[in-house]
Amino acid sequence: MEPAEVEFLAEKEPVTVIPNFSLDKIYLIGGDLGPFNPGLPMEVPLWLAVNLKQRQKCRIVPPEWMDVEKLEEIREQERREDTFTPMPSPHYMELTKLLLNHASDNIPKADEIRTLVKDIWDTRLAKLRLSADRFVREQETYAKLDNLTLMEINTTAAFFTESLNHMYKLRTNLQPSEGAESQEY
Amino acid sequence: MADELELFEQGSDAGSDEVLLTPAELIHQLEEAWLNEKFAPDLLESKSEIVECVIEQLSHMEENLQRAKKGDLKVSIHRMEIDRIRYVLSSYLRSRLLKIEKFFPHVVEKEKLRAKEDPSALSPEEFAFAKEYLENTEMFLKNVTLKHMPPNLQSIDLLKSVPQPNLDSFVFLRVKERQENILIEPETDEQREYTVDLEEGSQHLIRYKTIAPLVTSGAVQLI
Repeated sequence: MEPAEVEFLAEKEPVTVIPNFSLDKIYLIGGDLGPFNPGLPMEVPLWLAVNLKQRQKCRIVPPEWMDVEKLEEIREQERREDTFTPMPSPHYMELTKLLLNHASDNIPKADEIRTLVKDIWDTRLAKLRLSADRFVREQETYAKLDNLTLMEINTTAAFFTESLNHMYKLRTNLQPSEGAESQEY
Repeated sequence: MADELELFEQGSDAGSDEVLLTPAELIHQLEEAWLNEKFAPDLLESKSEIVECVIEQLSHMEENLQRAKKGDLKVSIHRMEIDRIRYVLSSYLRSRLLKIEKFFPHVVEKEKLRAKEDPSALSPEEFAFAKEYLENTEMFLKNVTLKHMPPNLQSIDLLKSVPQPNLDSFVFLRVKERQENILIEPETDEQREYTVDLEEGSQHLIRYKTIAPLVTSGAVQLI
């Protein structure tokens, strides 16, 4: 899956906005939204929040975990443990990226948060590479991947599964009757 | 808009029972079908009921928007939602067409061998497409090369020359309903097979063929 598609999925995550306009309830196919009143916090999907922000129609309230102290704690824990620790949001990376790109003026210490999340991401990806390496060396056929987020899985998924398939083919020496593509076109 | 839709869904127990879905649940099911189709190596069961209901919802909404006045904030929000749903829908259908093009002789063969009471993996439109694709490919090969070959080399068995879906390939999944005793086959002869339990909400990397029935039944979600 393309990173843009993972981001597309992340855009369904709810975030809180404070609108500066009023609007009646809207009946979307995916559920009702609103009514919107100026100054009253309202939960909307991220795609709408970003759009409203671009039109300067709202202020975005950053998610609770998007906070320097909390993220520092998560980073330390992630560095301490060998396994993957649970993340505050299944789409933490995409949320950080989208919110910091479109609403950095609503997020206190945006630069520090960007660095922290990047640190956490790097630590986790290093672990992911290590475990992928171990998986291949021990010729495993099964792995448990708790606490990994969709974006993390998708950084390596396509390459990793393709490589495993190739290695499997080489190892089992697939019989030519099935696997050979002698008449490829 | 909160009224419930009727959806005839073919359950895994072969009987078709009527399921009531809200539009939000319908969209959710479309998204799940989309991801499963994207990641599964073979062509999954067609979800034509879901597709039809979604199309109906979309055109219904389009009609309503025609009547609304332009430039309204509400209208633009509705448009954005429609665009998002339409993207998922077309991406879903497109990934099915891609697989049909890739595995067409096998897809058509499977459809021919299917027992009457089994649910079809293809929608009628997809079947027509697969058949036509098969005919056109055969015609093309014949006109371009085969007819210029010596007589004993003029036939071609597409079932043997087009690769089958690789069911041994690995997939990532998230468990929706707890499963026990999933047998993990060893990769090498020195290793032993063992079983694992899949807890609800947990994520795994596993061979597709091990869990293929669970994808069809909806107990796991490919990611």
